[in-house]
Amino acid sequence: MSETILKATNVSKIYGKHKALDKVSIEIKRGVIYGLIGENGAGKSTFMRVVMGLITMNEGEIELFGESSAKGLQRARRKMGQSIETPALYPELTARENLRVQAANGGVSEREIDDLLQLMNLGHTGRKKAKNFSLGMRQRLAIASTLMTNPEFLILDEPTNGLDPSGMVEMREIIQRLVTERGITVLLSSHLLDELSQIATHYGILHEGKLINELSREELARETRQYIELETTEVEKAVAVLDELGIKDYEVINRTEMNIYERLDDVAAINRSLVLADVNVSRIGTTRQKLEDYFLQLTGGNTHA
Amino acid sequence: MLNLLTAERIKLLRSRKLWIVLSILFLFPIYQAANSKMVVHYGGKLVQATDTVINGATGILMIDKNGLTILLVMSAFISFFIGEEFQNGTIRNALSLGRSRTHYYLSKLVTAALVSLVGVVIMTVMGMVSFSVVFGFGEVAGISDYVSYALKTFSTLYVLILANVSIYVTISFLTINSGVSLVWSFLYTIGTGFGAGIFQQTEHFKQVTFWFTESFLFYSDFASPAGIAKYSEMILVSLITIVVSSALGIILFKRTDIK
Repeated sequence: MSETILKATNVSKIYGKHKALDKVSIEIKRGVIYGLIGENGAGKSTFMRVVMGLITMNEGEIELFGESSAKGLQRARRKMGQSIETPALYPELTARENLRVQAANGGVSEREIDDLLQLMNLGHTGRKKAKNFSLGMRQRLAIASTLMTNPEFLILDEPTNGLDPSGMVEMREIIQRLVTERGITVLLSSHLLDELSQIATHYGILHEGKLINELSREELARETRQYIELETTEVEKAVAVLDELGIKDYEVINRTEMNIYERLDDVAAINRSLVLADVNVSRIGTTRQKLEDYFLQLTGGNTHA
Repeated sequence: MLNLLTAERIKLLRSRKLWIVLSILFLFPIYQAANSKMVVHYGGKLVQATDTVINGATGILMIDKNGLTILLVMSAFISFFIGEEFQNGTIRNALSLGRSRTHYYLSKLVTAALVSLVGVVIMTVMGMVSFSVVFGFGEVAGISDYVSYALKTFSTLYVLILANVSIYVTISFLTINSGVSLVWSFLYTIGTGFGAGIFQQTEHFKQVTFWFTESFLFYSDFASPAGIAKYSEMILVSLITIVVSSALGIILFKRTDIK
């Protein structure tokens, strides 16, 4: 069984009368890319800040790398890196100098700076100051900065925010590479489920400070995959026909509706078999629940996702 | 904490603000020596009690002569130096690595103290050199052991500055914004510098005036025996100010949510 990197139990954070986090419990195992999804103001950044010890929580417990005491958490955070919201850089310094500062902060050698600049495609920036970088370059430099201390667990808050499509693809590839090549566990957030679904292996859906659902990539794919929707008044007879056709992956939703998850290209053949077996088919056709629709369904609608 | 100080060194050496501050403190004495020369040239006379620095020897009192300027320049520098860490979010980079907030606070205080030390040393040396060139080295009236006097006076004046630097650091950590910090630091400097004298008008609270280090800095004569006799009191008040403001700053900073 893989090691638990982060275990948050019933974490709550209250600002005045507003509950930014309401008893959020999340467990992240080593090697996972955990995507935290939620609209703006759902509590994603607040949760990340609590994990990093930047803000205090009103209730709950955080365990990092098996440590939960104040001193233990301080030690554990040395194995972590973060880039929360906007890239936190010194605008007057070059890429190399920014990394030197972070190396000093972490008390680590500056040996890796050249490799990281190359890895993040920033080797050519020379004496150019960070304030003159494009947003994509700043994001990449912020991630390089988090990697200076060789973290085992990376927290990235909306790393693709504001990037153009090619920048988003590049960022996804970088994160993927960090996981496969360096074995880093990642917690990242986005308000775009579609964007996150291309990289995350596990998902937590935050809504108004509450974790309303947690699911794996497979579960999400299942929830949102394409299927044949069948409407009939004779579900039992339809099931018998499907069994005869050798179709095993289907689901009876209620007394008049069924979803069929295989042979999606054979709608006509399935329909013909049902009709020949005297099954009264009211409607049949392929459909797909979009990720956005799924998210809206979970959060009750009013979102940007 | 040494790691954090190394990080501060890298940032400072590339900081345009640092070089602006040091340039001001470097050039100001030259301007003042030239200005004093003009005063004498047009028939005026320099008097130590009012002009403070009248020759190379009295140049050791440059901090006293330029107390308000040094405080305003340092308050601006510290407000930006600390406030920008919050505004750029770079403070997260150090704190999220599990660095102790106490160490972070102290590293900023030590850095601000070192910058102000370098600044006042430059100003004093430049003052002594400039005034020596224009008026000769001369002497401080009534002082027989100049080296001892110079060391004690410079140290006392620096500690008085340091007490204010400590307050500015506290204000910066509490306001977590350069602009707001600048305003409050300015108000504190003006308020305690020129408002503390109000207590002198009362019968029972006269002593309160000298609970503020600026009262010593602005109103004491550091070349008179009465002023020199108060050095230990000045150092005591300064040290209490540094300890109290730093303790308060650290306690409140530990409770601050970092955005």
